[in-house]
Amino acid sequence: MSIILSELTKRFGENLVVNKVSLEIQNGELFVLLGSSGSGKSTILRMIAGLTEVDAGRIELDGRDVTFLPPQTRGTGFVFQNYSIFRHMTVLENIEFGLRIRKTPLEERRQRSEELLELVGLSGLGSRFADQISGGQRQRVALARALAYQPAVLLLDEPFGALDVKIRAQLRERLIDIQRQLNVTTILVTHDQEEAFELGDRIGVIERGDLIEVGNPEELYHRPKTEFVATFIGNGNVLVGRAEGGQVKLGSTILPFPKNAPFHDEGAPVRILFRPETVVLQDQPVLQKSDIHMLAQGLVIQRVFVGSQQRIRLEVDGLQGVRPIAPPPAYGQRMTHIVALQQSLSSGDRFRTGESFWIGVRDYHILAPTGLKILTCYDESPGGEAAFEFGARLAEASRGPTTLLTVIEHNQALAAAKEKLELLRPKHYPHPSHFETRVRQGASAAEILLEAQDGHYEVVVIGQRGRTVNPNLAGMGSTAWQVLNQAAVPVLIVQSPRPNIQRILICTAAGEPGKSDVRFGGRLARTTGAQATVFHIRRPRSTGAEKKRTDRHLRQAQSTLESLKVNCEIKVIDEAPLPEGILSEAEQGDYDLIVVGAPAPRSPQQFRWKDLDSQIVNGTTRPVLIVPMVE
Amino acid sequence: MNGTENSIQKVNKKRPRSTGLVPLILLLGVLFPLLLMPLIAIFIFASRSGLDGFLSALSQADAQFALRFSFIIASVAALINGVLGTFTAYVLSKYRFRGNQALSVIVNLPVAIPTVVVGTSLLLLWGPIGLLGKYLDPLGIQPMFTPVGVLLAHLFVTFPYMYGAVRPVLDELETTYEEAAYTIGASRWQTFRFVLLPALTGGLFSGSLLTFAHSLGEFGATIMVSGNLRLRTQTAPLYIFAQFEAGNIEAANAVAAVLAITSFILFFVLLRITQRKTVQVT
Repeated sequence: MSIILSELTKRFGENLVVNKVSLEIQNGELFVLLGSSGSGKSTILRMIAGLTEVDAGRIELDGRDVTFLPPQTRGTGFVFQNYSIFRHMTVLENIEFGLRIRKTPLEERRQRSEELLELVGLSGLGSRFADQISGGQRQRVALARALAYQPAVLLLDEPFGALDVKIRAQLRERLIDIQRQLNVTTILVTHDQEEAFELGDRIGVIERGDLIEVGNPEELYHRPKTEFVATFIGNGNVLVGRAEGGQVKLGSTILPFPKNAPFHDEGAPVRILFRPETVVLQDQPVLQKSDIHMLAQGLVIQRVFVGSQQRIRLEVDGLQGVRPIAPPPAYGQRMTHIVALQQSLSSGDRFRTGESFWIGVRDYHILAPTGLKILTCYDESPGGEAAFEFGARLAEASRGPTTLLTVIEHNQALAAAKEKLELLRPKHYPHPSHFETRVRQGASAAEILLEAQDGHYEVVVIGQRGRTVNPNLAGMGSTAWQVLNQAAVPVLIVQSPRPNIQRILICTAAGEPGKSDVRFGGRLARTTGAQATVFHIRRPRSTGAEKKRTDRHLRQAQSTLESLKVNCEIKVIDEAPLPEGILSEAEQGDYDLIVVGAPAPRSPQQFRWKDLDSQIVNGTTRPVLIVPMVE
Repeated sequence: MNGTENSIQKVNKKRPRSTGLVPLILLLGVLFPLLLMPLIAIFIFASRSGLDGFLSALSQADAQFALRFSFIIASVAALINGVLGTFTAYVLSKYRFRGNQALSVIVNLPVAIPTVVVGTSLLLLWGPIGLLGKYLDPLGIQPMFTPVGVLLAHLFVTFPYMYGAVRPVLDELETTYEEAAYTIGASRWQTFRFVLLPALTGGLFSGSLLTFAHSLGEFGATIMVSGNLRLRTQTAPLYIFAQFEAGNIEAANAVAAVLAITSFILFFVLLRITQRKTVQVT
């Protein structure tokens, strides 16, 4: 009996409790739904049993659509956390109840319930009442009662939640035995990871109504796809490096991408997970074994004895440009912490606080890349509003983490500014945990650039910030001007509101160093589902060789975009005056976004502003994305 | 069960008690003239003319009818309100709808309304010139001044007692209790019959007794709607009142004593049930 859930959705009032959960559970499988309290896992179980109405989506039990059927006709066995044993009935009568309802002859149902009593190990207790047996026994009565009428699906809602640790362990084993013996398709809901690992054939991790990831226990522990699972399950170290030249740059260390690692765009952040037990601590940075990758030197700051092992927390100074995710950095913590698990030896501890060790990893795992990490700079000018809206649209499309930043003067109130930003929090943002607000104090441009660097953002969205029109700064305020000139990441300047992102114009000139603009434009097109047009204007009187180079460049651009599965076209026109050609194309095609390249800043102080780019920004009100070229 | 009761008594014994005599004497000084002396008076008067006098007073046809009528009306009222009250409690406790709160309050109103007012309002509805009565009267249907009228009055007045005894029990049962039955395959009716009703027995029993006891003693509404017709609609309390007014104190007293004794018995049974319930809960 298989269970198929499609896009199951439930709201309680304004609260989205279950969000489009789709799941397929095989015949005879023991599936565990794991999540913290309030994650919506029990609601899913109750919807399958028919105890909670479904708002949207479908539930199929063995090919039968039961979405709107009453609980009585679904043929599920449900075990509640509080067991809900019928108090006025004996244990035997409780177990028989389902058969009695089904008008099974007395003799047959007696026999069946005796069998079940034996199966759950309660023979001889059939004539007791609920208040005469222990919690663990009640739990087993509830299980037997749910199994008596041979339901096709067994649903268990935190069945061991109220029991003490020892009984819990016994009952888990018994549950596995019974489940295997009867081969009944089972869903168990729990918040206990250990329980999930021990019981589940597969585990589905659920958080705030979203089914985040599904996999067998080992997959989820060693090879999770998402950051949430990596940090929620087990104690992991998760650090963010950067993809560079087909490898992962983690501080001063270069790690190769393992086989089957998910594809990362060049320059994209790469999240690396390594479990504490794979951390190697050595006195010397020498590689004793070739499969150990040295990370950095660290200082022991804490050691906790946990029986067979000891958990050691180290502080690492040498990981430049690495952002730690787990263990979560405390407020104001400057250095990265790494947790290691080492065997505890009776001969005393080698890892005393204050000692320094070289940290290596034996095994690491790369998480799937997130959507774009976006920094949206908010100010109260109309351009700031437009930037905020466009940024939110981009974030929604890419499902990436977004930070909304505002910079205030030193004498302004921090709390009020923060509150103002919180009010802008999109109401139905797909992943509320991915939306952050931040307030910095100081000079706008400097603070924005600092935040962009510290937070490892992939794109900065900014309004024009022009309070006074300054022809020298292409009609922009000085903040936007400075950010555009000095940011090392692509900057998206939004001058007026743009309702959607459907057509992207990527302007390219053959022979420029690097292809970052095409690649980044392609990434945007992929995440937003927009149509991309690669646009090129031939130089006047270009030679045959030049033409050839241009053609090759455009072919490469096309195949790059196609490999990103972007719907694209190539457009080449001859000998048009430069900014006007691009601007008229933008108007004619009604593009929502213009992508242009710019040379990378060689030093933070050097302005790289090209005439062409400034003319484009000046000549249009459409959003323009300026991508620094990586050489 | 016995064991648990003993342990509770032991717990009670352990509780430290101050042995102040003065407050106890003061309390008795208040209770005695207020509660105990009137009750004692009934029995003293009833026993004045000896057992023979008492029995002969009871054996009068009027007295016999009044007592029998009262017991029948009380039983029927307990039965009907037993069903209606339980049904009301079930619907108001288990179904969520607009106006649920308002209905819960309305159902309890009869406790607050003076019984004479209840009698009047029934007359104004069903009486020969009443809102409905004026259409029914030409058809020969006249519920007022008949046993049916008395029953209507008693149903009205005693309605909240059954409801009040059952509703808290239903509210207290976890919803998973019923949900368990639903998933097992029991229909709503089967769930009610096999799962909820057995859990309600205590509430049902005490609710019935309360209804019965209140119906037995009902006076205000009854005197309005019954017309106080001898051998037709005269309940025991009305009989006592009528005899007392006529100066037949002995006759009045004998029936009063029977009512008092019945009430005592009902009261002690109720006390036992509620005590047993608290023991179960602990």
